[in-house]
Amino acid sequence: MERDLLRQSVSYHGESLLSLLKCEQSENPDFKHVAAELSKTLNQREEGSTVLEQFIARKADLLFAPTWKTSTPADEWQEESGEAYAIMPPLEQFMEVTFEERRELFYRDVERGDLVIGRINSVREFGLFVTLLCTAGGLERDIEDLEIKALCPLRDVPSTGNHDDPLSYYQIGDLIRAGVKDIDRYHEKLTLSLYSSSLAPHLDKVKLGVISKEDLPLHYIRGEKVASDSSETYEKLLESSLGLSNPLNVDYLLGKLGISDTQTPSLMRGLQSKHFKEDDFATAIRKKQSVSWALKCVKTGVDHFKSGRYVEAMNEYNKALEIDTNNVEALVARGALYANKGSLVKAIDDFELALENCPTHRNAKKYLCQTLVERGGQLEEEEKLVTAEGLYKRAIALDDTFQEAAEALEKLQIHIQKSLKLKEQEAAKEQEKTKTVETSAEKLRKILKEEKRMKKKRKRSTSSSTSSDTSSTTSDDSPSTSRKKSKKRKHKRRRSSHGSKKHKRRVSSCSDKTAEEEWFPAPANTSASYIDQKQSISKLLSEGEPSWGKSQHEDGRGRLDDAIDRSLENLKHEASRLGRSDVNGQAKDRHRSSSTSECARRDSSSSNQSEYSQKSDRYSKEFSAQGRKRSESERRGNGKMDRAERNSRNQDDSRRSSGGTLKKELPSNLLDIFSQIAEFEKEKKLKK
Amino acid sequence: MSTQASTSGSVNEARGRSNVSAEDVEDSKTHFRVCRFIIETGVKLGMRSVPMATACVLYHRFFQSASLQVYEPYLVAMSAIYLAGKVEEQHLRTRDIINVCHRYFHPESEPLELDGKFWELRDSIVQCELLILRQLNFQVSFEHPHKYLLHYLLSVRSLLNRHAWSRTPIAETALAVLKDSYHGSVCVLHKPQHLALTSLYLALQTYGVQLPRGELEWWQVVCADITKAQIETIMSELLQLYDMEAKCT
Repeated sequence: MERDLLRQSVSYHGESLLSLLKCEQSENPDFKHVAAELSKTLNQREEGSTVLEQFIARKADLLFAPTWKTSTPADEWQEESGEAYAIMPPLEQFMEVTFEERRELFYRDVERGDLVIGRINSVREFGLFVTLLCTAGGLERDIEDLEIKALCPLRDVPSTGNHDDPLSYYQIGDLIRAGVKDIDRYHEKLTLSLYSSSLAPHLDKVKLGVISKEDLPLHYIRGEKVASDSSETYEKLLESSLGLSNPLNVDYLLGKLGISDTQTPSLMRGLQSKHFKEDDFATAIRKKQSVSWALKCVKTGVDHFKSGRYVEAMNEYNKALEIDTNNVEALVARGALYANKGSLVKAIDDFELALENCPTHRNAKKYLCQTLVERGGQLEEEEKLVTAEGLYKRAIALDDTFQEAAEALEKLQIHIQKSLKLKEQEAAKEQEKTKTVETSAEKLRKILKEEKRMKKKRKRSTSSSTSSDTSSTTSDDSPSTSRKKSKKRKHKRRRSSHGSKKHKRRVSSCSDKTAEEEWFPAPANTSASYIDQKQSISKLLSEGEPSWGKSQHEDGRGRLDDAIDRSLENLKHEASRLGRSDVNGQAKDRHRSSSTSECARRDSSSSNQSEYSQKSDRYSKEFSAQGRKRSESERRGNGKMDRAERNSRNQDDSRRSSGGTLKKELPSNLLDIFSQIAEFEKEKKLKK
Repeated sequence: MSTQASTSGSVNEARGRSNVSAEDVEDSKTHFRVCRFIIETGVKLGMRSVPMATACVLYHRFFQSASLQVYEPYLVAMSAIYLAGKVEEQHLRTRDIINVCHRYFHPESEPLELDGKFWELRDSIVQCELLILRQLNFQVSFEHPHKYLLHYLLSVRSLLNRHAWSRTPIAETALAVLKDSYHGSVCVLHKPQHLALTSLYLALQTYGVQLPRGELEWWQVVCADITKAQIETIMSELLQLYDMEAKCT
């Protein structure tokens, strides 16, 4: 119990209240502590109201409880702009409180940091003398006629910055707003300051200094009007004020006083907040009700689903979600329906949302995993390998016992690596064109990295699922190291060549696979074996080409045109050169074309069924040949920079970069290429 | 506003000043209980003070001219809540009102199913709403004491020392007394300014706060047409309500 309050109340009402309190609050332990102090000599009020005292005594445990005061003062004082409520002049004025009393009250209540407004009445060397007009910033008093004088010393007048005497800025008769810096209550002296630092924290945004008549506080202006017009009463002024008719003034004022509107206090015993249960509130009941209504809808929806009436089922699910958004069961059921129909993305969204709301929902997890894997498969086919990888990883993260996801992820990761390598190759090719000398140290480093990688790949290859992959891993080593470096160096190049076609990647994804096939065993494919299947291959090639070659043509051309990179210009250059099928030009060209023909040949040896993979195999062989050449050159060129090496590397690069573009040119060059197979064969055998 | 108050006042007088019949006592107990129901429901629905006041006033005014024998008070109360929400722009859904009231009468029960019975309940609320409107001649917007009380509080605050103000819960007590006044018909028998003034007066008296006085007392300034005797009368009526609580609940 608040002792001071109680004491105040008891001393006001007198002995009778105390006796009543003792009677009513006898069981209250808090009261007993305070009771002793109160039994001092008390004077009895004459017009004591028993009813009131009875009320106070009965409700004392509520009225004087420390928790009864719930209001919190507002933190920042703001000048009232616009009339959210009726701003009234100080009540003192209406009450006609005496001069003496007002003066006394003012000096009692003014504090350091308050805002006051006054008029300058003299300017001396040591400061300004101000006669106060009114108070501002919360404290509202009628002080104009009290003629309170205050001093604003020179040091508290901020300089205007022109090195002039700051006091020259101020003149007699100016209205200034200042903060109270110091008060001598006994001698009734006030010291002001024009610095913001002198103000209380909640007032520190207010501007100090000279103000105009418009800036005077509203309560003062209204007070003036009342003073001049004696017929203006408080009531009249209130009724005529705009702020009173503001429908939101109650909310605003409650906020100003710091009292919450939905939990207003009450003195009735039955209405105390402790008697209200959380479950009885409207929102809680509504939530429970929504959930049960939604479940009913979901049940009927599931029935429809099982009988095959998908449209009705979807309607029921949507209805359920309208009743209760984010209802877990409805989301899972709808997701399953989407997945069934094939809208996998929507299904995934629904499952995710369901899991957000209820992370332990078994069915949601299960379905989500399945759908993710399915979607991953879809994306793989669309060549969005990285996204697919992400999905598989998510599926595994959700449910690590999901076998399919793990398998699919591994397969995909290999795909991605191959595609990355191919990209690196191309990038490195372009980059090495501009590169001048590769130091021996770098070469050594490359070789070491290769060997490390080979070992790693060997280990991994033993655990990989597909048979074709075993051999594939090994050939990764050689180009990988150089690719890594060039990858890091020539990101930009790769990015720009990134645009140059999906088919490149497609090619590379399968190319690595088959390239690796060929790495260890000596090339078994003789021209003879190729020639046997020449017809089928050419048919396949010619079939496939127009469909996607054309589109890629345009794509590639467009993108190439946009690229600023020199490497891309080279590419174009080479591509155009190829297009011209300038076979007789240089050995370069021949190599290029022959390598492509070799790839075409290799194509026949591979055992892939799909047309797509066969085509890509063709290119993969080309790349594998390049890769092999590269590693050979690297191995050979220890400390020596061969022109041949460089040439071959350049050729590799150009081949790789033009690999994509080559596809465009193939249809026209096919026969030419085929005719050079034998030539290339011979060359290869020589090299070996 | 004052004319309405005086006519209803005269109705009471006509009934007999000193001897209030047993019937009236019973009626006032019922009204107390129903108003308690309204206020409780309002709290659970998150109603603000002014819409809650409107609901109670609608209820009291309805039964000034209608008979408890003919109309079911709790249904009138529910419709009054619904109507008050509309009038004071704090729209409440009938579904929420039905849910809360159902639980009030059947504690710890499951929420209602969306079946025929639910729709019937909803229909009855809506029908009753029209009934209330007609009974009150469609005059359903009232001036409430709340805004007056808040303005008076600000004015009185300026008279007090800020520390004294911050440690004395005058605002809370005055608002509590005002809120509790809606349990009885006192809220419709007096002017809103008078009610506001009396609540504030009561709060100040409770804590023994002494305000400076000039030529006029603060309450004389705030409401020119009120006398000390009137304040005392209203105060006693307000305090009687607290006694009723013990009898009714």
